[in-house]
Amino acid sequence: MIKDSLRRVFALVKKEFITTWKDPKSRGIIIAMPLLQLFIFANAITMEVKNIDVVAIDRDKSVESRELFSKFENSPRFRKFFYVDNEKEFKNKLDNQKVQIGLIINNDFSSSIKAKRPVNVLITADGRQTNTASIASGYASQIINDYNNEILKDKGAKINISVRNWYNPNLEYKWYILTVLVTMLALVITLLLTALPIARERELGTFDQLIVSPLTSFEILLGKTIPPLIIAMFLTCIMSLIIITLFKVPFAGSGILFIISVFISLLSIVGIGLYISSICRTQQQAILGVITFQMPAVLLSGFISPIEDMPIGWQLLTWLNPIRFFITLTKGIFLKGMGIEDAVLNFIPLLIIASITLTAASRVFKRNLD
Amino acid sequence: MNTVKIKNLIKTFGNDRAVDNLSLDIEKGKITGLIGADGAGKTTLIRLIIGLLKADSGEIRTLNLDPVNQKEKLTPKIGYMPQKFGLYEDLTVIENLKLYADLKNASYNFDKLLEFTNLSQFQDRLAGALSGGMKQKLGLACALLGEPEFLVLDEPSVGVDPISRRDLMTMVRNLISSETTVLWSTAYLDEAHSFDIAVVMDKGNVIYKGKPYDIAKTTKEFENKIIELMGGYKQEKSLIAESYEPVSIDIDCSVEAIHLEKKYGSFYAVKNNSFCIKRGEIFGLLGPNGAGKSTSFKMMCGLTRPTAGTAKIAGTDILKNPSKARSKLGYMAQKFSLYGNLTVKQNLEFFAGVYGIGLLNRRKRVDEIIEIFNFKDIENHKSEDLPLGFKQRLSMACALIHNPPILFLDEPTSGVDIITRREFWNHIISLSKKGVTVLVTTHFMDEAEYCDRISLFYKGETIAIGSPEELKQKANADNMEDTFITLIKESGKK
Amino acid sequence: MKILCALIKKEFFQIIRDPSSILIAFVLPLISIIIYMYGINLDTVKVTMGIKNDDANPEISTLIKSFGHSKYINSIIYDNEQDIIKNITRSKIKGAVIIPNDFSKKLSKGQNADAIVITDGTDVNTANYVQNYSMQILNQWLSISKYNNLIRKDIVNPSIRIWYNQDLNSHYFILPGSLAVTMTLIGILLTALVIAREWERGTMEALLSTSVKKIDIVLGKYIPYFILGMLSMAFNVFMCCAVFKVPFRGSFVILFTVSSLFLFTSLGIGLLISSILKNQFLASQISIGLGFLPSLLLSGLMFPINSMPYFFQYLTMILPPRYFITFIESEFMAGTVWEIVFINSIFLSVPGIILFCAVYAKTDMRLNK
Repeated sequence: MIKDSLRRVFALVKKEFITTWKDPKSRGIIIAMPLLQLFIFANAITMEVKNIDVVAIDRDKSVESRELFSKFENSPRFRKFFYVDNEKEFKNKLDNQKVQIGLIINNDFSSSIKAKRPVNVLITADGRQTNTASIASGYASQIINDYNNEILKDKGAKINISVRNWYNPNLEYKWYILTVLVTMLALVITLLLTALPIARERELGTFDQLIVSPLTSFEILLGKTIPPLIIAMFLTCIMSLIIITLFKVPFAGSGILFIISVFISLLSIVGIGLYISSICRTQQQAILGVITFQMPAVLLSGFISPIEDMPIGWQLLTWLNPIRFFITLTKGIFLKGMGIEDAVLNFIPLLIIASITLTAASRVFKRNLD
Repeated sequence: MNTVKIKNLIKTFGNDRAVDNLSLDIEKGKITGLIGADGAGKTTLIRLIIGLLKADSGEIRTLNLDPVNQKEKLTPKIGYMPQKFGLYEDLTVIENLKLYADLKNASYNFDKLLEFTNLSQFQDRLAGALSGGMKQKLGLACALLGEPEFLVLDEPSVGVDPISRRDLMTMVRNLISSETTVLWSTAYLDEAHSFDIAVVMDKGNVIYKGKPYDIAKTTKEFENKIIELMGGYKQEKSLIAESYEPVSIDIDCSVEAIHLEKKYGSFYAVKNNSFCIKRGEIFGLLGPNGAGKSTSFKMMCGLTRPTAGTAKIAGTDILKNPSKARSKLGYMAQKFSLYGNLTVKQNLEFFAGVYGIGLLNRRKRVDEIIEIFNFKDIENHKSEDLPLGFKQRLSMACALIHNPPILFLDEPTSGVDIITRREFWNHIISLSKKGVTVLVTTHFMDEAEYCDRISLFYKGETIAIGSPEELKQKANADNMEDTFITLIKESGKK
Repeated sequence: MKILCALIKKEFFQIIRDPSSILIAFVLPLISIIIYMYGINLDTVKVTMGIKNDDANPEISTLIKSFGHSKYINSIIYDNEQDIIKNITRSKIKGAVIIPNDFSKKLSKGQNADAIVITDGTDVNTANYVQNYSMQILNQWLSISKYNNLIRKDIVNPSIRIWYNQDLNSHYFILPGSLAVTMTLIGILLTALVIAREWERGTMEALLSTSVKKIDIVLGKYIPYFILGMLSMAFNVFMCCAVFKVPFRGSFVILFTVSSLFLFTSLGIGLLISSILKNQFLASQISIGLGFLPSLLLSGLMFPINSMPYFFQYLTMILPPRYFITFIESEFMAGTVWEIVFINSIFLSVPGIILFCAVYAKTDMRLNK
């Protein structure tokens, strides 16, 4: 009995592999697309704000004002400087996004310094890019602060902070983004492998052929789960090796635990993909289903904006999101060397998601007979 | 005056010569039938004539125009109905007509067409919800819009019942003028026999052109002559039946339908359908399109859940133990539904595996099937690239791969050429002699004669059941086609 | 013209019959706006962090209190460092501040005092917030504590003003910006399958045998989905402005003119995929694989393009959403800035026209088989 069943499942698995790999276009999409995206995103994405362009009005034109500007010019964060004479040009540069930040020094600057009278330097930031605005104005304040240190030789009470960044001493953004990217791309690839095939078989009529065969719905489910799981596992491992060797992301945890976590995480995504596929009659509907899941899953995974910061209802919603746990696991095992107990806590929701979606999918196979 | 003039035409796809140095003239104002084995190049020739394909070399003049360079001038004069009818299934009947009328710059005067097609009452139904026969009529109506000088029909009658086929023929003859030229590709030789001119193609070339009546006076003789022209058919022992292990099922009914019923809302697609098929019997399910044959068929093999009743396959209830019941079953679907992107061999291996044939036996069995069905040359071709006849053969091979004691064949010969059809029925009959039970549907009335018993289906109910002879007597007719039409019409009157 | 109208009418009938197009055009953007509105917050992040105080001076307890009162911080008191590290590893806390035992002593002498800030470096953004918040709270406390007379008084003070978005409310830019991502998706999803579907269902063959011209087929696909896309855009803008109260300072005429250029380009991407592949399965895979992540991550919505390595800055130039985001954010927050409108319109139309030509060239008027 079991032998027969295995035989049938094996035949189905083999067929799925042949159909996925045989067409060079399809193979190209599955392999090249995630790897190419990994390279591009890895190099392009950064949280740092660099190459800030500045527009400046120097109404003082004194040695002191020159000195302060030269401090800005020497900072690696700032790139181009446009010195203008009037507010109109100043506004023009900011309006047209030629610059991200504007500096104005008024004509009482040098006299105030000499008289030890407080004086303002006006920093104007372009709020259309909220992030850049706050970071760039932060840099500017820092430079002004350094300038204060120089001109005021006397010390005073002051608090310094000495920062220790655990697991990532230099706060390398790359380490963070790359571990996240691996999970994102694994998500995309798994969904495109699982969500379309059943809808397609329905359109072509081959799904009827499967139902008429002695395959049980559980066997069909297995046959549809194993191939995408293996392909996605393989790609995820390749991507992980790439980020370890090429991008020098440290791998602190256990390799076996990592593979187990990837397996469980992908299983839950496969479950969702198959469920989408099972309820869709056409491929158009299947893509719609995928995007409707993919978009919230990515946005609410904690990658763009931290989960603790969401309204409580939304936080509860993220418990349904396998990507949330997948990211925690990947990041945790890669960078923190997460141990078994902590990993298991993340396995539980993933396994629940997987079992619910997979059961639902196989039930739909049966129900569709009507 | 010729509508089409072709000289030394060549068209190749990869290494295959689909049209090989062909020359042909098609006379104006006549109906020309295009006959030939599957893969003989009929569809390619049609597409070349109307400019949908570009020839490698040679010359074509259609209505005195070059179909490639003067396509814009040519298309308004042509009415073309492709194999899949070219209808938008998510548009209604009237929307389809209006669309094609606009595309052909024709008026919205559909009264005559709707009257002839009997589609008036279904104007607002989606084309996808029409039965095969009605789709075909709608397809033809669309092709006839704008009163084309040249009407081209590519196998319009595939999968359509005899009544609809007769209607179609009447429609064409009544709706065209005496000036209109018709090119009609068909697998039904009785149709071809009634045309003005028959063109027989083989391996990309014309092997005969002439008046059908010059070949033979009767349809039956015409059929035999055509088979001869196409290389002849020698009835050989069916190798597939030869290698079949004899089947023994020691119950009365190999296949049993018990009060099957399918209701959609208040509409009965199938109503109280019961029958019993004995071991080794060939049981034919006949009826017009939309009568509920397919629904019954799908319920029998567990693709659709009946609203009441059940079916037993070799004594096993299909609802209670589907997996066991299906393992006794070989199924061939109406539409080609194998994996198009797998090769012939991979498809066979897949179905062998799915039906639980062990790895060692599988190789042997697949090789055997390849041998018997003569797939050696094409075993590594993708199945979607095969001509229709080969696809159907492959479907049958896949249905037989696990030596099932029961075979369900849903229109196995639809769209298949006459030689392949004879070959198919040779297999079916030989298998039944070995004890295989066969449930089959067909629209070819000559094939109905091969059945041991026939159930005639109309509007969801069985209106007659019995051997072909019994039915003929009942209808007082001498052939199955007339029997069919008479019985359906009688039932319709009641 | 009659033919084109007939084709457009046909396409509309199909859109109405298949609810998935309507879902793509109206439900998908709605979900997306709600997520960006409530699920995403880029400015004031609340973090949970630990506090450990080794300084027994009672004055310091006011410092600990001010950590507790901050609305950005959820503070937990710890007694030993091991626990802090363990909880960082488990992501229970994102960081911690440790006040050493000589902290108040140094301050009272008018010296520099060191506070130790520990962060979870695996979450770089939050680590930065932990640093900044700690720094802010420490300095604020210092200025009101009894040591405030010992603080150095700075002469040069930065005075910061933010233009166009005074409160630095990130929703004001992320909601309009997200429209670009959503509209890219809609444009691609609506059209990626439509030509492939006609080939697969055999209706293309029937169309080609009529007097349809190539331009009719191409426009017959562009126009209906363009109209649907613009309706979707109007719906989106309405949701942003009227329901979620994002201030709009620009001109609706200009907004919709540039949006139409953008939509023209994204429809082109979808139609090109469809006409090249002629296969719904592959077209779907490409749309899923490329439709979302690149437009989210490389368009400048989430990550600043200016900071990318130059090669990748050039690479983003091929992404239409990049230009649309620049335009739409500026139009919403700063009003119409002509130079921004013109430059981005040009960069949106050029690929749109190229794509249109490519779709035209790739639309076969003959069969291959």
